[in-house]
Amino acid sequence: MENIAIVETHSLTKRFGSGVLAVDSVDMSVRRGEVYGFLGPNGAGKTTTLRMLVGLIRPTSGTATAAGHAPGDPKGLARIGSLIESPGFYPYLSGRENLKVVADLASVNLKRVEEVLDIVELSTRAGRKFGTYSTGMKQRLGVAAALLKDPDLLILDEPTNGLDPQGMAEMRKLIKDIGQGERTVLLSSHLLGEVEQICDRVGVISNGKLVKQSTVQELLGEEGVLVRAQPIDRAQDLLARMYGAAAISRQDGALHLKTKPENSVEINRQLVGAGIGVSELRPFERSLEEVFFQLTGEKQGS
Amino acid sequence: MIATIKAEWRKSRLRPAFLIGAGVIAGITILVYAANWYLALHPLATRGGDRAIVSLATLYPDQFVNNVMGAAFPIGAAMAIVLGALFAGSEYGWGTVKTMFTQRPGRLTVWAGRVFVFGIWMLILTFVLFGVGAASSVVVALFQGHAITGPAAIDLAKGIGAIWLVFMVNGSIGLALGVLIRQPAAALGIGLTYVLAVEIIAVRIINLINNGQFKDVTEQFVNQNATALTQSFTSPAFGTITAPVVSADHAVLVLAAYLIGLTIVAAGLLRLRDVT
Repeated sequence: MENIAIVETHSLTKRFGSGVLAVDSVDMSVRRGEVYGFLGPNGAGKTTTLRMLVGLIRPTSGTATAAGHAPGDPKGLARIGSLIESPGFYPYLSGRENLKVVADLASVNLKRVEEVLDIVELSTRAGRKFGTYSTGMKQRLGVAAALLKDPDLLILDEPTNGLDPQGMAEMRKLIKDIGQGERTVLLSSHLLGEVEQICDRVGVISNGKLVKQSTVQELLGEEGVLVRAQPIDRAQDLLARMYGAAAISRQDGALHLKTKPENSVEINRQLVGAGIGVSELRPFERSLEEVFFQLTGEKQGS
Repeated sequence: MIATIKAEWRKSRLRPAFLIGAGVIAGITILVYAANWYLALHPLATRGGDRAIVSLATLYPDQFVNNVMGAAFPIGAAMAIVLGALFAGSEYGWGTVKTMFTQRPGRLTVWAGRVFVFGIWMLILTFVLFGVGAASSVVVALFQGHAITGPAAIDLAKGIGAIWLVFMVNGSIGLALGVLIRQPAAALGIGLTYVLAVEIIAVRIINLINNGQFKDVTEQFVNQNATALTQSFTSPAFGTITAPVVSADHAVLVLAAYLIGLTIVAAGLLRLRDVT
């Protein structure tokens, strides 16, 4: 993966006529070849940002480049495939005919239509009218259309929206496959598990502001070990002597210890040796969900 | 541009609205011919004797160009507005506008391709009108034992051009409204209301003010000119008819100005507005 940015925004801002500040000074950088997760709750500004990147919406201020060109520039669009929100196709045409319309417009050889139908496993149902498609089939056709140009940059806005669990799993696998190799995928989602499984780096947007941009690993923080033991005060003293007081924190009646999970055996031996009862000892990692709620200020389960 | 035309043609060639539109135009032409034929053969009984409302001579092939002008307008014009509103407005309802705008061509190229293909469809509707009109006139001639003589080629070409222009101008009203309102239903509703009611009422009111002092204003209205253009196609077979309010040349210029103006305004809206 190269460190050259394929998408870059500087102070990108969009204020709609109604006065709503949808995107507020976003500085985002997506590197060539990575799968970038664009996370945020509904209404955070994800779709507005992506619409600005493909030239559907003009920014109020700030700048952006996508695939080396200003948003909406035909040269840039020739290298970008996108599925923004719901897939938009003609309901009276078949899936295949719809792709041919897009292929004509993008000056792509019609042979490519069959290739992308194979990739999204829609070949056998491509003769049916788009209006009769299920949500999953519509999403697949949307991804197929985005792939027609064999783009350097693929922008997918919540591609698993409206899919059942099986459809979501299939779409995740499809995106993972598409993201292999040189192609860059910019994936927006509010489904954290999806992003955690697929993405190399993430950007978190909340209330129009990009509040964090890093690798998934950085975002989740250092690895550690969770210890539940009795008496807990003695356990804490002992572990503080072993790893330093700064490495330990107490949460919900358990100790969170910043150390490698491989040290669990030694921790257990020391605690048991000191007559402390150990009821739980396991590797501890913050979930993306916890990090997300912390960053966006949203309450879990709300 | 070629790519856009190919895409616009591919998407519209199977569009039910255009096929239904062609069918309606054909059906109305046949209906008008059938009704006029019946009226020509069944004169009105009056105290002064039988009086034919329609002359049979107007239904023969040599007069079919003049005859289809009446059949085409205003139903054909209304049809063109509906098709224009659907063609431009549905793109927003289906979300296809964002699909079209995120491919290779720029917005203006997409719009130019769309208007070009719409123009082809209006030409197809014009050919349907003239084809069905010609066939109907041949049927009448055969049944009546009248010689089958076609109109002069120049009259045919002028007639096709005039009807295409009338369809295209009305279609561009629908297209522009579709882009402005960003949905088809309201666009075609407003377009039809304007052409079938608002303009007619406005013309009457304005022409009443100070004994027609502002008649010049109404002479610039779309369908005043469209009506005048279609009325300019006549012959002695049709008897005495009301003189057109403006000349055919004036009508062509005004209609062409509307067509160009509406297309440019819609292009400007498409280019400047966000696709949300």
